[in-house]
Amino acid sequence: MKSKDYFTKLGKDLNRQKSIYLLLFIPIVVYFIFKYIPIWNAQIAFRNFKSVRYGILGSTWVGLDNFKEFVNSYYFWTLIRNTLMYSFGKIIFSLPLSIMLAIAIYECRVKWLRKTVQTLSYLPHFLSWVIMYGIILSLFSPSDGIVNDIIKMTGGKAVDFLTNAKAFPWLVIFSDAWKEMGWSAIIFIAALMGIDVSLFEAAMVEGANSWQRVKYITLPAIRPVIVTVLLLKLGTIFEAGFGQIFMLYSPAVYSVGDIIDTWVYRQGLLDGRFGLATAAGLFKGFIGMLLLFASNYFSKKVSESSLF
Amino acid sequence: MGKKKTTESVAVRLTAADRTFNVIINTIMGILLFIIALPLWSTITLSFRPADFIGTYIEGMFMAPWNWSFDAYKSLLGNNGFLLAFTNSLKILVYGVAVALLLTIPIAYGLSIKDLRGKKFLTIYIIIPYVFNVGIVPTYILIAKAGLTNNLASVFLPTCISTYNCLIMRSFFEGIPGELRESASIDGCSEFQTLVKIMLPLSKAIIMTIGLYYGVQFWNDYFRPMLYLTKDYLRPLPILLRNILLAAGMNEFVEANAFGNAPVEAIKAASVFMSAIPMVIAYPFIQKYFTKGTLAGSVKG
Repeated sequence: MKSKDYFTKLGKDLNRQKSIYLLLFIPIVVYFIFKYIPIWNAQIAFRNFKSVRYGILGSTWVGLDNFKEFVNSYYFWTLIRNTLMYSFGKIIFSLPLSIMLAIAIYECRVKWLRKTVQTLSYLPHFLSWVIMYGIILSLFSPSDGIVNDIIKMTGGKAVDFLTNAKAFPWLVIFSDAWKEMGWSAIIFIAALMGIDVSLFEAAMVEGANSWQRVKYITLPAIRPVIVTVLLLKLGTIFEAGFGQIFMLYSPAVYSVGDIIDTWVYRQGLLDGRFGLATAAGLFKGFIGMLLLFASNYFSKKVSESSLF
Repeated sequence: MGKKKTTESVAVRLTAADRTFNVIINTIMGILLFIIALPLWSTITLSFRPADFIGTYIEGMFMAPWNWSFDAYKSLLGNNGFLLAFTNSLKILVYGVAVALLLTIPIAYGLSIKDLRGKKFLTIYIIIPYVFNVGIVPTYILIAKAGLTNNLASVFLPTCISTYNCLIMRSFFEGIPGELRESASIDGCSEFQTLVKIMLPLSKAIIMTIGLYYGVQFWNDYFRPMLYLTKDYLRPLPILLRNILLAAGMNEFVEANAFGNAPVEAIKAASVFMSAIPMVIAYPFIQKYFTKGTLAGSVKG
């Protein structure tokens, strides 16, 4: 009896929802082609795949050889170190900067200053890394950049920041901070806007000054958001910023600039070592997946919000 | 912002500590404004630098506007290669955003229907590839085998359904009162009609925001065009810009005198500015939707 009810309801639901299934058909197929076929293709990590012409199934199965080669190679630890250096560096410098920006925008009483900073700070998020590279050149170019102009004026020698292994990591970290600072601040500004006004009124009546207000109301109010953002960022710690580093780096700074993604590109698509490159990509994808699950789990626990 | 009013109404009670606080906040804001504006300003003024300019870079930044030279822009706009690249980029942008929205909206809407049969399957289906990223080589092989190389669609098709954007849009749809949908379905609307007649008109903010996200992504992408578009005439703007920037000093562009007599640095800066223009123009129009659209679903509570 119960199962009959179930099928009647199922039939009813399907009948009412059939138009949505029709609507979903094409997106599901497109998604399958461009997201699931690559997962199938990823099996070349276990094969000796030479060229697209011979096909995937036509190449010999080599088991974990590609993974072993990647993990045992001398560049393995360099790649891991660089990848983590960039993602942690970006969190350490960008996160406090965007929190400070959000609080400054929120607390600023000068309207034009507030509006200008807010609007201008979002803008770089929408510029590509190619454009950013052009802007960085206009600042740091050894022949004709403002920074080297100042160095030369104070009697120093021009430095080519983009090919200097000492300067390059800082350039990567701070150019990213500059570009994304305003955009990352949005979520904190939103949290600040949500603070109950009566808290401030009460504080005012009690005679709290601005410093105490920030310390006891503003900061505690955005603390859960900071924790959530931090956790979600930790979940993508293996994404060090391929688009940025690929645009900025050059052979002179491979030792400090190469991350897993850039290496995968050079090995796989330039040198034609498809199997090895895919193995490295899968290695990164697998660890990334575990990290994402972990960060999502903890974020759900701590602040009841999560990505999925 | 109600809080602003409160503080202003009791402004008379500002203590010394409050005044120091305000001075420090304004100083921080001033420094931030300087840090954000300086790189933008230096690039813009560089693009207006005349060929006969003598002086340091800093002097160039404070050059009077009547001494600015538009040679770099004239040469860029008179150059066929540049115009072609611009057209290619526009095509990728327009087709890309249209396709992406047409594919993203149904998924987001499906996910927002409470009692959709197979909703769990759909959720897992779109999340798996997001969580498990296999890297660039497998996608490259797919595009090569499918014969999509040297087709503008290869730039936007692989990324035209973003899981993240689907989830943001889903949250927005879920925020629209369920009574509206129920009354529509009682009136005999199918789910499709509900979507088109009830949901979409109420969702302009999120459609604009997600459209902007996709648009920025397609317009700015240089990596996929570099991989998949090898023919010169298909080159979009970021690739041309990259070639111009990476070519140091005397290069193919300048040697061929393709860009007239403007200084190389000015040409580089001008092409940087020209590539950013569509984003800069679209930005203020769409900015007002940010808070509404982004925050509605940025992190699902």
